[in-house]
Amino acid sequence: MKRISFTILASLALLSSVSAEDLSAIKWETNNDEPLIGSEKAIRGGTFTDSLPSYPLTFRLYGPNNNDIFANWSREYSLDIGLVDRHPTTDKFIPIMATHWSIQPDNKTIYFKLDPDARWSDGEKITADDYTFAAEFLSNPKIQDPFAAQYMKDYIESVEKIDDYTIKVVGKKPSWRPLVDYNFAPLPKHCTVVDDKWVERENNKPPVVQGPYVISDFKEGEYVRFKRIPNWWGDKKRYFTGMFNPDVINLRVITNDDLEFDLFKKHELDIFRVMSARQWETQMNFDALANGYVHRKRVFTESPQGLSGIIFNLSTPLFQNKDFRKGLQHLFNFDEVNKEIMFNAYYRQYSMFTGTPYENHDLKGYPFDPRKAREYLTKAGFTKRDANGILENAKGEKARFTLNYPSKSLEPHLTVIKNIYKKGGVDINLQLLEPGAAFNKLLERAYEASLVNMTADFYPDPHQYFSSEFKPMKQNNNFWGYGDPETDKLIDIYRFDMDEAKRHDAMMKLDAKLEDESLLIQFWQAPYLRMLYWDNIQFPDQFLPKRIDTYTDYQCFWIDPARSEKLEAAMKAGTKLPADTVIDVDPYGVQKKLMQSASASGAPAQLKN
Amino acid sequence: MIKRFFRLNPITRKRLAKFRQLKRGYYSLLILICLTILSFLSNYLANSRPIIVKYEGKFYFPTYRFFPGSTFGQEDEYGFDDSETDYRKLAETFKGTDNWLLMPPIKFNPYENDFGHYDIPPPHPPDSRHYLGTDGQGRDVLARLLYGLRISMLFSLTLVCGGMVIGVIVGCAQGYFGGWFDLMTQRLVEIWSTLPFLYVVILLATLYKPSFTMLLVALLLFEWLGITYYMRTEMYREKTREYVAAARSMGASNFRIIFLHLLPNALVPIVTLAPFAIVGGILSLTALDFLGYGLPAPTASWGELVDQALQSSNRGKLWLSLSPFVAITTTLVLVTLIGESIREAFDPKPYARYR
Repeated sequence: MKRISFTILASLALLSSVSAEDLSAIKWETNNDEPLIGSEKAIRGGTFTDSLPSYPLTFRLYGPNNNDIFANWSREYSLDIGLVDRHPTTDKFIPIMATHWSIQPDNKTIYFKLDPDARWSDGEKITADDYTFAAEFLSNPKIQDPFAAQYMKDYIESVEKIDDYTIKVVGKKPSWRPLVDYNFAPLPKHCTVVDDKWVERENNKPPVVQGPYVISDFKEGEYVRFKRIPNWWGDKKRYFTGMFNPDVINLRVITNDDLEFDLFKKHELDIFRVMSARQWETQMNFDALANGYVHRKRVFTESPQGLSGIIFNLSTPLFQNKDFRKGLQHLFNFDEVNKEIMFNAYYRQYSMFTGTPYENHDLKGYPFDPRKAREYLTKAGFTKRDANGILENAKGEKARFTLNYPSKSLEPHLTVIKNIYKKGGVDINLQLLEPGAAFNKLLERAYEASLVNMTADFYPDPHQYFSSEFKPMKQNNNFWGYGDPETDKLIDIYRFDMDEAKRHDAMMKLDAKLEDESLLIQFWQAPYLRMLYWDNIQFPDQFLPKRIDTYTDYQCFWIDPARSEKLEAAMKAGTKLPADTVIDVDPYGVQKKLMQSASASGAPAQLKN
Repeated sequence: MIKRFFRLNPITRKRLAKFRQLKRGYYSLLILICLTILSFLSNYLANSRPIIVKYEGKFYFPTYRFFPGSTFGQEDEYGFDDSETDYRKLAETFKGTDNWLLMPPIKFNPYENDFGHYDIPPPHPPDSRHYLGTDGQGRDVLARLLYGLRISMLFSLTLVCGGMVIGVIVGCAQGYFGGWFDLMTQRLVEIWSTLPFLYVVILLATLYKPSFTMLLVALLLFEWLGITYYMRTEMYREKTREYVAAARSMGASNFRIIFLHLLPNALVPIVTLAPFAIVGGILSLTALDFLGYGLPAPTASWGELVDQALQSSNRGKLWLSLSPFVAITTTLVLVTLIGESIREAFDPKPYARYR
């Protein structure tokens, strides 16, 4: 992350000046040097049709029920990103709603220079008032959005208008990433009335937005259409070049995946994301693909992956023993599960912070090795097998535990894992729980072992998971009841140190330390998007930005009218188009890196590629 | 007393004779009994452990016992001799020696993943190794069907028996005592029966760990309701008969009158309803398994197999969909034929004509 070096003069000027309005001495910062996100070749126009798994419960961007798949689209199209944003490929900050920013030495006060060109979708100017209004709005209980309110309460101290196009945002506490922590989007003051009826009134009302698309047309249960604003203000801005290209976005509600696939094959949809490895490997034998009308791409990206795997409750006597945990690690045969159940489509995760800038790429994990496993289990006291072949210790306690899991989708994998462990003398009882109940057991630490699958941020938050601060109490994300002074020290360096190199170093050490603690049998990641799309849809050379995990973010695709014509003619005549045989796209070297680390850890090479 | 209870009166004997004449029902019963017995012998029919091993002059019966590899001088691929013996491999090493072992007709147990033998990932179509192919985790479908039948029958029979016992007791009490007791319990039964039973069971399954007993109890909560109506009316009819008055005049207790005098004469609904209740029990368990609220993984169950067959990625894999379909249909048709024949056998008219 880029830090701002202040001249002594500027700092002195700031210290001496009492009036916040005198900003003449402030050093403004901007960034126009990053590569484009979209492509200059992009052609504007056309209608893009995609699907929604369910009709949105609301069009509101705030308040209840605004967290479905549709929200991904509407947030993207309303440009609900904030004042500045991280470039999705280079991770540097780039201007969005603000052209310039200035972080003060206290690391919690930021001045933003707003973009005077910015307009609401109804044509009104976006000014400082819309930001001070947004701050009020978000903390207003009448919008019934506890998350927004909590954010305002925890993070934002004040938002002040300096003049029409300058604001001052003060955060609650100093931060080494103030542009992330103290960043929010404006709201249209001129047309928003917050009262008790707000939630209900705005439910099905297309919102006035700062982004390129507005909801133009909708039919409940059937479709939502977005229309592009002609001469949108962002068109002149560097980082929006080649983005948001189609004139109309048509989102059809298709509740059944099979039906969605069939409609895609009939060209009623332009794009189809393939969710399962089985489908990706076994159902790609349809005519449109064979004829070259459809492209099949697996694009590797590097987005933050959360904790995923089997965790152990350290407050149970069985799992307090580190050797026992390590023994279990070496019994986990990822390669067999990957090969037999998952078509070798996934990659083992090794780091607790995979896909973030703080991932320790040197970690090698615990390879499958029954001999080593037995060594550790013997060290843990489990020396002999009982009459059923389960290992037991001198006290007659068995190597047996219950594994909670919240969804049937991983049941096949777990039953295979159960058999592998059984062979190694460890008995796992599988227990399917309703997701809420499963998570509650984690929070209550009322489990032995459990499957977890957490989401992650660009900046990892080891504190909430591994800090000993949470060890004595329940109802937090320290599911293990784990605490260690050395871990705490490393976490604190990461949290508070202003030196990025030191933070990075601490995180590398922390990652290695956590691997040694063996708190989690790491599962796998799918660091890519699998998609099928018709030939007239085009993507930039690098396909997708690096740090995304869904193509609805940073939309850079476009519809090529020349290719549309050719495609239609070919379909009518029944002729083939040149076949596109390249399936894997690895613009950022992610796949390469994963293959290297897989072969380094002694795993068999991938079947494919 | 028990002998007296089961002493066949002439009418019952006549009914049995008539049932035997109704060939489709009679043979269905024989087939179903055979299948049920077979399924209870599953461990000898489909297992990775042999029925009998003769090694160095000694006999071993591993079906229900764990023998480490060391017993037969076997080491696994990691050099351990205390892990379970791989009997299929052992059979190979026994070739040409005096040692021998007898594997069951299906050499796989319903839980093991047969990985490494095929080039492509499971499910594999039927072949000489797996007579009905394997499921998505490389498990033998036939073995799973067999074990599934056992668990379905066991579950359903226990469920029906339990339901009948409760239902008969409550129904008899209602009919026999009548009055306020009847009025109140009847209302309770009505209220109880309006609960959507599948939802309640699903709710219970999310709160408590689903197991055989838990599901049995959950379904029992609703199973007994239906039979109470029939028993109640039977009791109302029978209790006005003279033999009841006679028994009472001789000082017989209520318990004795109900269970010794009345019940044998009111058995018709129990006997005729039982087969259909068994069908219902099997279907309920299959439905719950299919929905994922049934027996915990990796229990062999038909519903789980149906679920796999219906996944879009398994489309066209006929062995996955046909196997449980044929199994379920066959069982249900057999039971239905039996039920129909029993009904006909109990019909006082010699020849019934359906209109």
